[in-house]
Amino acid sequence: MKAYINGIGAVSPQNTLSQEHFLDDVVAVEERFLQVLKPDYKSFIDPKVLRRMSKIVRMSIVAAKTALDEAGIAKPDAILTGTGMGCQADTEKFLNAVLDNNETLLNPTAFIQSTHNTMGAQIALMQNNHNYNLTYVNRGFSFESALLDGLMLIKEGEVKNLLLGGIDEITDESWLISTKNDMYKTEPLNNLQLLNDTQTGGLSGEGANFFVLAGQKTSNSYACISGLDTFYKPANEQVVLEKILDFLKKQELELKDIDLVILGYNGNPISDNIYMHLENELFAENATAYFKHLSGEYDTAVSFATWLAAKIIKNGVVPSNVQKRKYTGTAPKKVLIYNHLRNLYHSPILLEQV
Amino acid sequence: MEELIQKLKVQIIEQLNLEDMEPDDIDETDPLFGNGLGLDSIDALELIVLLEKEYGIKIENPKDGQKIFYSIKSMAEFIESHQK
Repeated sequence: MKAYINGIGAVSPQNTLSQEHFLDDVVAVEERFLQVLKPDYKSFIDPKVLRRMSKIVRMSIVAAKTALDEAGIAKPDAILTGTGMGCQADTEKFLNAVLDNNETLLNPTAFIQSTHNTMGAQIALMQNNHNYNLTYVNRGFSFESALLDGLMLIKEGEVKNLLLGGIDEITDESWLISTKNDMYKTEPLNNLQLLNDTQTGGLSGEGANFFVLAGQKTSNSYACISGLDTFYKPANEQVVLEKILDFLKKQELELKDIDLVILGYNGNPISDNIYMHLENELFAENATAYFKHLSGEYDTAVSFATWLAAKIIKNGVVPSNVQKRKYTGTAPKKVLIYNHLRNLYHSPILLEQV
Repeated sequence: MEELIQKLKVQIIEQLNLEDMEPDDIDETDPLFGNGLGLDSIDALELIVLLEKEYGIKIENPKDGQKIFYSIKSMAEFIESHQK
């Protein structure tokens, strides 16, 4: 199974929407969690439609439109979205209204827009697109599930191209709830100092990362997604290591063939131990990179890593501010992403030069 | 009545999230739907909720909606005549 990335669009806490710049000027903040940089929404979305959209819907449409414009596709054959938590702001608004008004007088807009498939639906509505449209809500596997569906659709010839997105938003309330089980850090920190922070929990974040995938490459293709695997709740670090080795074996690759490994370090000393173990035991000879100091942690953060890997392969450079173990080659051809969420949802994804 | 009209304008802008719009931008006699403010059926539901929540007025007959929600002025007149 493989698919070419022919267009990308990312709304993130960094200047990722610009196609000209590639992390040459990263954004550093001293906050409890990372929020996306607001694009000029009105230049992408009709103000009459915009007023009813919450942040997650807005950023999804901007990212999706950017990816489609770049690929030169107006109406993709399929729209696939993955989101772990969906429209949290609208859900909170609706639930708060239920409590405040004693289960009466509920505003319809927040309710209508609170379902997880709102992003995929809004994108389709704006294109008058009646094609295959599915949203995957599988917590830490949400983006991976959507990607797997996309790869199968392309392999089986069901579609020529499709739009794929990984999206999640953070709100004050959802962040607060997540800190109760030590998932996220509670005190503000400089995101660029993520790996030096000693607080428990990861750095929470958000983003909308969209890709146009196709069975045929173009002269503008970024990279090819050639491998994906998921495994749930491995017994120990050794099992993770073996799973990754199995994955590479299936791809008929050896460790030395991988030019760069992007690891999902999120600043949580407990879960980062898994990455550290792999980096020392399995990837001891490979160059490594990390990304959650730029994106933050969220259920679909691996979609940001996919954006990063695609840009690295197309541009032929590994930005210095994502390098962990220095890349000394000339241009990476094979990039392996390995990410896990709370040591439950584990996934390797392989991207290759076209 | 003038005070109520101004209050309604502010509440509608906030409730319907009419970005970049100020109370003075809305003429009290302009139609709320169609060619005027360009509201739609979801906004109509929001206005029904607003009337009940903020003014305690329930619209018993849905057919009256078209007349009541014609403009800010017609809404204000309806509120004034139905408030206890």
